[in-house]
Parts: sequence; C-alpha cells; structure tokens
Amino acid sequence: MKKTIHIPLGSQHISLLEPIRFKFECENEKIIGVDADVGFVHRGVELACTRSFEFKQVGYVVARVCGLCAITHSLSYTLAVEKLLGYVANDRIKYLRMLMVELDRIHSHMLCLAHTAENAGFEALFMQIMGDRELVMEVQEAISGNRVQFDYISIGGVNRDLTSDLCDLVRKNLTILSEKMEILTGLFDNNWSLSLKYKGVGVLSLEDAYTYNALGPLARASGLATDVRAETSDFPYEALGYTMILESTGDIHARNFVRLREIVNSITMCQNIVDNLPVGEIQEKVKGKPKGEDIIRIEAPRGELFYLVRGNGTNILERVRIKTPTFSGIPAMMEVFKGSQYADAPAILASFDPCMSCTAK
Amino acid sequence: MTKIETTLPTLLSDIEAFYKPKEWHFLSVNGIDLGEGKIELQWIFSKYGVKDEVVIYYALSDYEIPIPSLVALIPSSIMGEREIVDMFGLTVEGTQKGLYLDEDSLQHPLRGEA
Repeated sequence: MKKTIHIPLGSQHISLLEPIRFKFECENEKIIGVDADVGFVHRGVELACTRSFEFKQVGYVVARVCGLCAITHSLSYTLAVEKLLGYVANDRIKYLRMLMVELDRIHSHMLCLAHTAENAGFEALFMQIMGDRELVMEVQEAISGNRVQFDYISIGGVNRDLTSDLCDLVRKNLTILSEKMEILTGLFDNNWSLSLKYKGVGVLSLEDAYTYNALGPLARASGLATDVRAETSDFPYEALGYTMILESTGDIHARNFVRLREIVNSITMCQNIVDNLPVGEIQEKVKGKPKGEDIIRIEAPRGELFYLVRGNGTNILERVRIKTPTFSGIPAMMEVFKGSQYADAPAILASFDPCMSCTAK
Repeated sequence: MTKIETTLPTLLSDIEAFYKPKEWHFLSVNGIDLGEGKIELQWIFSKYGVKDEVVIYYALSDYEIPIPSLVALIPSSIMGEREIVDMFGLTVEGTQKGLYLDEDSLQHPLRGEA
C-alpha cells in the first residue's frame, strides 16, 4: 500500500548554500507535491532604496542583494538610472562592464558545478573546480579591488581602469582556465558515477519550461531559446563572440552542460574584450536627477535580472523594483521535483543554482 | 517598452487575449505606491527572441480592492502575486501572506504610509 509522508528539506541542510525550506509530499520515495518557503533572508532592500539612500548611493546598496551576482545588480540599476538621465556610456565603459559581468558568470557557474559535484558525492571534483575557480577570482580582485562585493560600476562609468598589466593577467588566467575546462567537460560527460546521478534526473520538459516561464540555464537546458544577451541591445554581445548555448534533455546533465559551455563562451568573450578594448574615458560626468520610469534587463548567471526604476526629479527614488532570476524560476523548479525520487532532491536543487539572497532581497 | 492601460475587471480577459506562452515571457507583477491609498499595478512581459520588446499592462487601483489572480493563465505569476500581498498588503484572490513576512504580520512595508 502506498503511504504519503511529508519530508522537509531545509531551511538548514547540508546540500544548501543558503536558507530555503521545501516541504515534500512523498509516496514512499517518490515526490508527488512540494511547497517552498523562501523568505528567510529578506532584508527590505527595495524599501531601503527609496527611503534611506539617495539615487547615487543605491547602486552600492543593490550590490549587497547578492554576493555572487553583485555586479549584475549594480549594472542593472546603474543602466536604468543612466537611461532616465539620458546618458549613454562610451564603448570603453561598455566593454569594461561586459568584462566584469562575464567574469562574474564564469565564477558563478563554476561554483554551481562544484556544488552539484559535491551533491553527487564527488568531493575531489568539488575541490578541483573550486581551485580552478580561483583563476577567475584572482582576475576579478585585480580589476575591481574586491573578490565579492565589487562596487566597480558607478553612474557614468566604472571605478577602475584596465591597465595593460591587468589585460595580460586576464589573458594568462583565462588561457589556463580554458585548458582546465576541457578536462572538466570530459569528466562531467564521461564519469560513470556522475552520469548515474545526473542523466535523466530532474527533467524539465520544453513544454513545462514555457508554461512555468523558466529562464536562464534552466530554460536553455530544456531547449527554450531565451537569453537576455540576445534580447536586448544595451551591449554588443554578438560582436564579441556571444553564442546562445542550448541543450535539449532538460535534466541535471543538460543544465551542467549549459553552464560548462557558457563558461567557455564567456572566456572567449572576455578574451575578445581585452584584445579589442576601445580607447576612452572610464568615468564621465552625468548631470541631473532621475525623472520618469524605465526598465533594464540583464542576463545574470542564473537568468534574467529585471530592474524597474521610477524617479520624480529628486534625490530620492519613488520605486526600485528588483526581479531576480531565482525568484521567477521557483515555480518551474517546484514542477521538476514532482515525480522525482526524494534521494535525488539535493542534486536537483543544486542544479538549479538557487540564490536565496537574491530571491528574498 | 510599451505600456498598455487595463482595469481590474477586464484584466483577465485582456491578458488572456494577449498572452501566448510560446511567444511571451512573463516577467513579474509589480506595484508602485501612488499615495493617498492608490496604487499602480503592473504585469510585465518580454517577447522571446526579439530585441527590447517589453510590454507592461498596468491598472490603477485602491488598496482595498481585491486583485484578480493570473495563476490560472500564467502559473508562474504566483510568486509576484504573493510578493505584492506581502509588501503592499493587497488582497489577491487565492493568495495568502507569508512569502517574506509572517503569515499574521500586520506590516506592508512598501505601502506609502508605512
């Protein structure tokens, strides 16, 4: 006789990097229903942006929404305000901003891959990926001055220039990382124990990806061709070698492979940026106070990051709306769990690369 | 960005006529406090594979008026709807408080008088 039981996962769990609680309804080992509680790290950032800080300070506030994609938060906000002020950055500033966003994507994807390896019980691979990730972290620290909270982007430009020495460091470290990625790709593709844990597990069908508005690597692993880098014209991604990475099986293996291939593509873009860096100022004067309403979409490592900013011509904004990728992806994630085995839940969860600091903000 | 005005009584029929799951990506629900008990509600969509095409349906409303839920049309709208219930203290059909705040919390942080 089938027996229905309720099993919680989280809010603190060995497989979680941040607090989230799932309540699984299971028939024996099979998950038939799921509920999620995501608000453990709510900090009231949207309120703080419109009550406690002036618009010139808010870019540094929203960078604190999330440590992993701080650069995409501050870039999204800054672009929205610049649009309201009628300012368009020069090509050097655009390239430097793109460089940091793509470096951020590389290190974030590598953290996710390490985490999924750990959840498959492959500790050695976890250590190897985290070690390789230091190549990117070293570059980010050298360029921005920080490993995590970069505070690199400001209204009207960026805060530090890319010298020829830094360009050499980017080239050197990313060349080494490219070689490492070939080894990692082979491991993820061919290792027998990883295949058992990943292939055919945690499948999101293309139909469900559309129905539940999946986004980012989660959507592209199911074959849904959506990427903000291809759907906005704020940055010249195509000119720098951007390719949309798609898989079709929608399982953990496909999500890992989207990330692996996106890392390789981002490395190519970063190398093209430093090889073709335009000449120009890195900081320009932007006058005025934001008035009106505008939106910005940026492809963060986990998918589409959306900002809506409304100003009234004063230093204090009326509204800063932050819509993060994990927040939107939760309905699709919950759908994936249904029908899966409870024992696979940690590995499936890690493959979503959920960011709860972003979600709860 | 295109903004289209709608009203709460016609919201479901307007969105049903507009939204094709394989054509439009639903971004989120948004609320903007207008003061004096008024709020602007927004339902935001972007088009797959087309550059810079974003459509925002918006409606002006009072805080006391119940908001129709889009979950039957767009299942992923549940997150945005739960968020505006928490943050603005609105009533959305079939949606309860408790995403970020406690379920019995009396707060609604993004409402003007908060």
